[in-house]
Amino acid sequence: MNADPELITIPGRWDFEYRYFAGATASRFFAEIRDNRRIMGTRCAKSGRVLVPARSFSDAEYELTTDWVETGPGGVLEVFTIVGTKFSGLPDPPFVLGYVTLDGADTAILNYISGVDLTDLDVAARILMTRPRVSAVFKEAREGRITDFHFKVEQK
Amino acid sequence: MKEEVAIIGVGQTQYRRQHSNLNTAELVRQAATAALEDAGLGLDAIGLIVGGVAPDALAGINHLDMHAISRPGIPYFRVNTGGATGSSALLAALSWIHAGRCKAVLVVTVERMGHASSAQKIFNSIFDPIYEKDISMSTISMVALRATLLMQQYGYTLEHWAGLAARNSASSMLNDTLENPRFFTAEDVLKSRFLAWPIHALEACPTSEGACAVVVTAKSLVGSRKAAWILGARGLSDTYAIGDRLHRPEGSLVDLVTLRRSAEAAYRDAGITNPREALDVVEIQAPFASSEAMAYPALGFCDEHDCVSFTENAIEQKAGIAINPSGGPQASNPVSATALIRIAECAQQVRGLAGRRQVDGVRKAIATGQGGATQFSTAVIVGNQQP
Amino acid sequence: MSWADASYSLEELIFKGVKRALHASKTCIDAVDSVVLAAHDLVDGRSLSSMVTAPAAGAYLRDEIRLAEDGLVALSLAGARVAAGESELSIVAAWGRASEGDFLSQSRAAMDPFLVQPFGLTEADISAFRLSRWLGAHGPQDEARVRAAEMRLVRARQNPRAIDTSAPLLPLNAPLRVDEAPRCADIVVAALVGSRESACHISGIGHGTDATLVGDRDWLERPALRTAVEQALGEARLSLKDLDLFEIDGMTLADEALALEAIGLAEPGDGFGLYARSDRINPSGGSAAGWCYPAMGLVRFAECLLRLDAGGKRGVAVGSSPIGDQTQTAVVLEVA
Repeated sequence: MNADPELITIPGRWDFEYRYFAGATASRFFAEIRDNRRIMGTRCAKSGRVLVPARSFSDAEYELTTDWVETGPGGVLEVFTIVGTKFSGLPDPPFVLGYVTLDGADTAILNYISGVDLTDLDVAARILMTRPRVSAVFKEAREGRITDFHFKVEQK
Repeated sequence: MKEEVAIIGVGQTQYRRQHSNLNTAELVRQAATAALEDAGLGLDAIGLIVGGVAPDALAGINHLDMHAISRPGIPYFRVNTGGATGSSALLAALSWIHAGRCKAVLVVTVERMGHASSAQKIFNSIFDPIYEKDISMSTISMVALRATLLMQQYGYTLEHWAGLAARNSASSMLNDTLENPRFFTAEDVLKSRFLAWPIHALEACPTSEGACAVVVTAKSLVGSRKAAWILGARGLSDTYAIGDRLHRPEGSLVDLVTLRRSAEAAYRDAGITNPREALDVVEIQAPFASSEAMAYPALGFCDEHDCVSFTENAIEQKAGIAINPSGGPQASNPVSATALIRIAECAQQVRGLAGRRQVDGVRKAIATGQGGATQFSTAVIVGNQQP
Repeated sequence: MSWADASYSLEELIFKGVKRALHASKTCIDAVDSVVLAAHDLVDGRSLSSMVTAPAAGAYLRDEIRLAEDGLVALSLAGARVAAGESELSIVAAWGRASEGDFLSQSRAAMDPFLVQPFGLTEADISAFRLSRWLGAHGPQDEARVRAAEMRLVRARQNPRAIDTSAPLLPLNAPLRVDEAPRCADIVVAALVGSRESACHISGIGHGTDATLVGDRDWLERPALRTAVEQALGEARLSLKDLDLFEIDGMTLADEALALEAIGLAEPGDGFGLYARSDRINPSGGSAAGWCYPAMGLVRFAECLLRLDAGGKRGVAVGSSPIGDQTQTAVVLEVA
């Protein structure tokens, strides 16, 4: 036997199909975006917080939420990052991700951020660092997904 | 009164990008055998094996542990709490011994991410598929979001992140478990490209495979062996929703509420009132510099007013406590094992067995674990004196 | 249990299930100080499941740990934490939503990539191998098999918690038959384990582990199962004949019935026969009443507990892990 054999690697694919059930609450949240261009939150009666994106229960209070509340379309960009490198399976860089607290909401929602020149990342970051006002921009062709809209930095 | 528990054996493989010459069971065997030898125990003394493998997808084999860790005739189960898997596994082992179910537990964690050709694509699939996955989140962007908040809130700069990364790199040169430690300076970090602003490429942990095992036993089995006594061990979970943590009274996204509370409880267990004085070594489960800085105030080393100056001292190794003498996860971060490695490193420090990276006169050390969306936190304190 | 109910997301199902357990235990979330979960990344289609799901199970700012194991192991760990004085009241929850993913393709990915995956083997095939081994030893025994399958379906129909027959059966290969199949289900199961006095208490827990390679195992002796049950009974100071109820997890009827022989309850060759004759064995209807990894051990426990409440004093629940029941857990519970 060869004491130092050629090492074998076998190709594999990790590919499984799912159908994720959004549930009635997220379905309504998406329908409001698709049909009415509205970003809705749900209120936790116990804490009074308005959760965006809408959820049927608050994990902090461990209670069902009650009424629906319209939020935005304007809000504040709380935190951001500018993705600068290409990763397999993710979009081409550069692009900006951020969490936005919409007017009337107590929690922040994740989405893409546009409206800032990304030629120089440090310069762009300085602008985004100021917690600028942003506003939701809706796609013309909406399909009831989180990507039906994104946030654009408001020009002062 | 619970019986005291100690770590009496530690075994680690080399950590490297790929172990293409070993299958996973062989990798596990290296670490497990070394830990048992160090403990002077045979497998027949082990009443439970706890396995730790985090996302199955990274290895590309479902239930990898069933092939590689589980041993016939010994009770076995697997923990998976993401980056905190290794420390959660240790907590489960402690519960077993404290409940009187057995005297000795072998905790084994193994990472096989070298099998994955696209780790960040896999890391994207950990996010909520309904509201967040479509927005291209990854573990790097998740960290970057917090880093920008730290910069906004406390005035950290890119130089701080680079400085911490460079210090971890310098420390890692003494760590003989790393096959290819990378040496770079803060300037090198700042010159490297942005993965996701403000994270530079050199700040990110490399892909690492390897296995880490520890033997934990009740006091009655410790005898005259060199022991790292468990003085405190706690864990706490947070909400997944990053956006829910920006405006809540318990603490913001960068306050690490769960680590703070875990550490406070562990300090109470250990009778520690001034952690900066009582502790000699800390191993922080922080794959990025900003995550490490975020942990300082949570561990009680500083408060929000002096966290930047503490960080500057930490970069210069003048913080009064040895931070990540192993080089930490920035030097090597085998996801499934990394939180156990932090504990193993602390154990070796208090046992005086840390080799070239040994810090002088270590009596007490703390290891943190961090998993999920900076969400699962653990704090484990070990000491060289039986409590 | 439900099937593909699009009005709930996975997290909402979990929240609903755990809330119901709190309600049934006449307690509230504030009394809970720890959470132990059993959930699997690939089943949940979330590559680090508990990151998204744990908060739905009550983990918010609580001590929480997640096992990638059968639900009965989570119960065992919660029991250890309570016994150790680390927790006073712990939520134990397990779930799996078969309708979101594809169990058999996930199962294929669990087999050794070098030796087994090329043949496309799944858990269902391991069950078929086991049955073929038994058929080789004991002959066809068609009457007993048919009768056991009939009785199992009757019991499942009578189980108010069972999934209805609109949910699909998992496809099986010969010699397994369609009426021996598990019925796929979306399952959330939760229990509360605590130190305070309760009408029902856990008096014994056992764990067993079999050989790593399926080919190295004794298909019928099943040492992991045997050890788990013997340990649990030993700790409870009981023997098999003291038990009023057996809830045993097996993926197929064959796994359930042959387990009876392995633990010594049925004579060799009489597993199906005893299964058909005794209404103390899987009165829930076993996997015919709904099945999804990794919830089943905890489902068996819940069925045992609820049925002991209605009659009987002592029961055992058995859970099993993937790759042909490589590890098994047994829990003996008794009502006062």
